[in-house]
Amino acid sequence: MKTSGTDTAAVVLPSRSMKSAWSRALRRLGDSPEIGIIVALVMVFAVFTITNPLFASISDLQNPLGVDFAGFGILAVGESLTIITAGIDLSVGSLTAFFVVASAWLNVTAHLPMLLALLVTVAVGALWGLWHGWLITRLGVAPFVATLVTFIFAVGADEAIAPSPIPISSPSFLAISDSTVLGVPVAVIIFLVIAVAAWVFLERTYIGRELYAVGGNPEAARLAGIPVKRRLMLAYAVSGACAGVVGIIEASRLTSGTADSVSGWELIAIAAAVIGGVSLRGGQGKLIGVVAGAALLVVLRDGLVAINVNAYYQSMVVGLVLLAAIVIDRLRVQRLERASRRQVRPDRVEG
Amino acid sequence: MADSAVPKSDYGAGEELILAGVRKSYGPATVLDVEHLSLRSGEVVCLVGENGAGKSTMMGVIAGSVEPDTGTVSLGGRSLGGGTLAAQEMGVAMVSQEFPLVGELTVAENLLLGRRPSDRRWFVDRRAIYTAAQKMLERVGLDVETRRRVDSLSVAQRQMLEIAKAIGRSPRVLILDEPTSALGPQESEHLLQLAKEHAAGGSIVIFVGHRLNEVREVGDRIVVLRNGSVVADLAPEEATEHRLVQEMVGKELKGTEGRKAVDDAAPVFTARGLETYNFGPVDLEITPGQVVGVAGLMGSGRSTLLHLIMGSRERTGGRMTLGGEPYAPQNTGDAVRAGLGLVPEDRKTQALLLDSPIRWNITLSALRRISWRGVLLGRRTEKREAAELVRIANVKCQTPEQAARSLSGGNQQRMVFGRWIATQPRLLLLDEPTRGVDVGAKAEIYGLIEQERQKGMAIIVASSELEELLHICHRIVVLRHGRVAADVNRTDFSKERIMASAALGAGK
Repeated sequence: MKTSGTDTAAVVLPSRSMKSAWSRALRRLGDSPEIGIIVALVMVFAVFTITNPLFASISDLQNPLGVDFAGFGILAVGESLTIITAGIDLSVGSLTAFFVVASAWLNVTAHLPMLLALLVTVAVGALWGLWHGWLITRLGVAPFVATLVTFIFAVGADEAIAPSPIPISSPSFLAISDSTVLGVPVAVIIFLVIAVAAWVFLERTYIGRELYAVGGNPEAARLAGIPVKRRLMLAYAVSGACAGVVGIIEASRLTSGTADSVSGWELIAIAAAVIGGVSLRGGQGKLIGVVAGAALLVVLRDGLVAINVNAYYQSMVVGLVLLAAIVIDRLRVQRLERASRRQVRPDRVEG
Repeated sequence: MADSAVPKSDYGAGEELILAGVRKSYGPATVLDVEHLSLRSGEVVCLVGENGAGKSTMMGVIAGSVEPDTGTVSLGGRSLGGGTLAAQEMGVAMVSQEFPLVGELTVAENLLLGRRPSDRRWFVDRRAIYTAAQKMLERVGLDVETRRRVDSLSVAQRQMLEIAKAIGRSPRVLILDEPTSALGPQESEHLLQLAKEHAAGGSIVIFVGHRLNEVREVGDRIVVLRNGSVVADLAPEEATEHRLVQEMVGKELKGTEGRKAVDDAAPVFTARGLETYNFGPVDLEITPGQVVGVAGLMGSGRSTLLHLIMGSRERTGGRMTLGGEPYAPQNTGDAVRAGLGLVPEDRKTQALLLDSPIRWNITLSALRRISWRGVLLGRRTEKREAAELVRIANVKCQTPEQAARSLSGGNQQRMVFGRWIATQPRLLLLDEPTRGVDVGAKAEIYGLIEQERQKGMAIIVASSELEELLHICHRIVVLRHGRVAADVNRTDFSKERIMASAALGAGK
């Protein structure tokens, strides 16, 4: 950029000029995409509120928006773990639809107690994820392909289980989506718990760090003594379990296990992760960005409805936001690479 | 010679390849400086020299992939220059050590890649391709099905295929870069024959070799490079093995640093009959505070040995002990837990998280140790640890939070070193620890090795640079074809001796 020559010196010799303060701020922004996405979120929210003063009130968390946010958010958290390992999980949308039906079936048709039914649902999600991990690590199947198989399979599986909707009567099951604690919907609380747990995992446990290493450079991770295959399995298992949780939340909201209830959610999850700064090349990204990315997508969608924008345009806007996120990510990488090329020469001489 | 009136179009006898005043420098280091060298057609000229003597650069200059700073290269009076394509059109063909073959295509398709053996303009004439390919294979005596996919061939077959491809162009200058390193004894013999025949047909063959007996057998002339210059131009009769090694090495460096061979303490690590595919059996032992070098030509199994010990390559046989206990790593995790560390050969692909901070890179192998109750990674603890490691390993950076990518090669290497200082392994394995770093950084890495050695770490260093091993090791184990060819103590160090063990008796 502009500061090419002084780029590295800036940190050591802070200059008081406005220009360098500004360029430093810009660089900060470039270094941590999370800040950028949070700023964008606030700005978008502000624009909608100004355009339509009712927006702020309808978008409080008790609105269905809150449940949507929880659903997208939880999927995005699981998805981002797989993307951090330089993989991808295409199955989560279709698995969610499957678990909508499966959780209702377990509770209603199979007469399992509610809590047990939900636990089994999440456990099956985790096992399904482990299966993806197994395909990927033992057979060397590309993550895209391994999860695509499930994507297709699960679409059929949910209709096979429930040709017609399975109505849910258990009040505690239904409470997941329509009751609140201190004004916050239970679904959102579940999301927050998952998000905090994932944050602790990624930022504050050694296994979380190893996950980044596996995504950043699998061979380096292996030679550093990290059990690469186990870490990969874990990421896919968590992603599968997240799909189970979201399936339960959606079943509760729909009050029945209905086939084909959601579609395309895996793409929203991927978009939220990428917009939030999780690099598709792996090894990069923070949970706070993922949450902000999911929030931005929900606010955009809902906000565009609130100001009466046609549904076609909604998708187009989301597409453009994704494009912007990807372009910013690439520019950041290129800048880093340029910086490293510059660095080589002076150091050579110094030795 | 220059005054000859040979017509330019004549590819016949008497043609010359002349390098005049060719110099090439990278930064302050001059890698090639050839006053005058002329190669006549009909000759097999062997090019020998140590690693870094300038062989590759010279080949590159002739093949057009390296542009010299000054000087000219001419073939039959016409200047060769302007890139690899121009050189190819002038009739220069090079067989390099990496084979630029397309694995998914068939043998025949690879052989005729970029050429059209028939008049059909738009469509591929399959039959013509396969007949032409068959002829090319017969010429080099390679017996493989032309319809086989190249990725199903062995390394030796690919090497021969690459040679068939080069010879198929009927080159006026054929450059062979260590062509026998991938071949077995019979195939090597056949290849030497081919080189001779091709030269006899009126071409110039440049043969770069490490195995001195082959060089003496095939060469009409043997040119020795040292530090970028031609130091000897010998007839095969003059080129005894002793003479060649001496010319390559130059004046024998006396052990300037009087490092004593370590007394016979109990070994911290032993290996007996270590084996894997095309490697071994190898025996090895090392005592605490000892630095053992692993020398050998390319393909002798230096890296393989280290990876076997580290558990990052599958063993097919052998027993190891570490600290007197049986040691049988199933994976690198086992090795690290047992107290091993490996600084791999290729930083970029095997060691670095390029876009992550130095902190992440340097604590990577010690994460579990510095975590609270072996689970939670405290931010402050980690930062303290990282800062300390950066200091010990002398990584020059503004902050441990900057990306590893922003460091120079030497600093990156010290950072990877620091990763293992963090775990304090009992045995540290270093694979080409100073590859791609400058002289100053080298000295610092040697300093780190000495520092950790004094703390009692046992260190095994594999390196293609003999000077380096002579400088830092107590003992040097020489590998040849995956077996120990010699085990030399510091008191007996001599470059000739080690070179001879590594290079002689090829293929047996």
